[in-house]
Amino acid sequence: MSTSTTPPSPTPRPAVADEAAHGRAIAAAPRGEPQSPLESSSRRTRWLVTLLIVLAMLWTLVPLAWMLLSSFKNRVDVTASTPQVFFTPTLDNYRNLFRGPNNLAPYILHSVLAAGISALLAVFLGALAGYGLARTQMRGKRHLAFWIISTRMAPIAAIVVPLFLIFRGLGLIDSIPGLVLAYLTFNLPFAIWLMSAFFAEVPSSLEESALVSGCSRWQAFYLVILPLTKSGLVTTFILCLVFAWNDYAFAVVFSGPNSQTLPIAASQLVTQTGIDWGQLTAIGTIVVVPMMLAGLAVRRWLVTGLTLGAVTGE
Amino acid sequence: MAHAAQSSPVARGSAEQRITARKEPRIGFEGKMMSPGLVLLAALSIVPFLALIAMSFSRVRLLGGVRLDVAGLTNWARFFTDADMWMSWLRTVVYFVLTVGLEMVLGVGIALCLFRVLRGRNILLSLLLLPMFAAPSIVGLLGRYLTDSTFGLYAWVLRSLGYTGDILGSPVSAFAAVVLMDVWEWTPLIALITLAGLSSVPQSVREAAAVDGAGGWMTLRYILFPAISNVLLVALLIRSMDAIRYFDIIWVTTNGGPADATKIVPVRLYETAFRFFDLGYAAAIGLAMLVFSILIARTFVRLLDVRGLTR
Repeated sequence: MSTSTTPPSPTPRPAVADEAAHGRAIAAAPRGEPQSPLESSSRRTRWLVTLLIVLAMLWTLVPLAWMLLSSFKNRVDVTASTPQVFFTPTLDNYRNLFRGPNNLAPYILHSVLAAGISALLAVFLGALAGYGLARTQMRGKRHLAFWIISTRMAPIAAIVVPLFLIFRGLGLIDSIPGLVLAYLTFNLPFAIWLMSAFFAEVPSSLEESALVSGCSRWQAFYLVILPLTKSGLVTTFILCLVFAWNDYAFAVVFSGPNSQTLPIAASQLVTQTGIDWGQLTAIGTIVVVPMMLAGLAVRRWLVTGLTLGAVTGE
Repeated sequence: MAHAAQSSPVARGSAEQRITARKEPRIGFEGKMMSPGLVLLAALSIVPFLALIAMSFSRVRLLGGVRLDVAGLTNWARFFTDADMWMSWLRTVVYFVLTVGLEMVLGVGIALCLFRVLRGRNILLSLLLLPMFAAPSIVGLLGRYLTDSTFGLYAWVLRSLGYTGDILGSPVSAFAAVVLMDVWEWTPLIALITLAGLSSVPQSVREAAAVDGAGGWMTLRYILFPAISNVLLVALLIRSMDAIRYFDIIWVTTNGGPADATKIVPVRLYETAFRFFDLGYAAAIGLAMLVFSILIARTFVRLLDVRGLTR
């Protein structure tokens, strides 16, 4: 495109003019002309697409917006039989959460500790093992990889039952270390597999040249390869954090008064006598918003992360 | 060996030496890197797995210290003759097919729509992805709030459309509601993966199709779908493996009810294990679920193999 602005010399003129014309055609495309084959659609399909997107956005965002709105409503507005969109906002729900005998603070601490430590451990061990897995040429590598991924896919219910017995024997019920171990059952295989996918993207010629320049294998990994997979490390950490933070099935069995996490706190507000929906939507907001921000922070690598490296991003 | 290499660096000894020198420490280093993670993973998966097998053949006593009493095939006999159990499996299959099916159809649909949006696609996608990060238990509780027959937003909308029933109170609508909550949360994942697949189809291919006179539907049918079939398969498998993992939504909304209408296998397992404390029978159910999920994992790995991703 830039070539079209410079005055061309006589000889290459036809080619450049051609290119310029082509460039202009593309530039003009968004104004009405079809730009890509998919764009070559009638006005009606374009309206249809817009309508569908609007519907999808409403379907997706209304519940979240409603949760956020309701968390600022007072007791009357939150259970009004005609949904209230306009109301005087109040912070009472949030304030009440941190007041009285059932203070939310310890729950937040438990969640941060259990999810944070398990995610850190998973990324640390996952980076080491993932590198080993990506570079090893051992026989049976496929079987090893299969074993790792199948532990990630095992149904939670099938893991919880034996773990419950083992944890009871070891006295790990109702403890943060117990929850951390429980979360590692899904985060560790996830981190190993995903980090291995990120390391496999780094050409091994890089370590080879590092080795030639006198690095040890460890130095080549630590000084050359690891810095190149920083985004992979962050993505793995955040996804592990989200999985552990959002867990309910493990926490409901393994945690007690000393280790209950936020999702448990939320479900405990549901009692036979009634539910304080104002407080519940407030807890919901507290649980959901940090993970959404964390997840969007690594959006570029989400596809890679959530498909365990099988599909690479946009 | 080292001697030979030193005396004649270019001699044939060196090739042999290079192989051993490279291969021996290579396995060693990678092995060392893998061992901490793999040892822990083995402890966290093989030990429970063996315990699960042992439990499924025992009566598990919890009071006065954990004890396993041999019960032979009692649990398994019960598993295969329990009519309620078979209903649960049937319900699980229906739930699985409905949730994953709807998510695939809607996810691909949303991806195709978004793919045509040129400006603002990133923001739209980011907003659409939000439900994915919400804790399923919170999604369930929020769903309960929205469908409450006296003050729920969605119940109110349905009421003005003429539906006055209690959504979570009657079997069919409760089942539909928990399916839709799962669909709400996980459709974005399919859309995200599909969109990545669509974006990877080279522009030139699509232009060539247009030049050859292919319309929108033709391009979709003959160019885009074949090109992203692998990606769609990955999306399907990723979603399938998680669809049977999570049951939080059902657990906090209907708890399997009303009248067992939403009691899928993992919910029944939890109830058996942690409400009735029949851990032996729960272990048998768990083992059966495990077999099912390993079959899915096998498919996944085989697919990645075909695409050369586990090399």
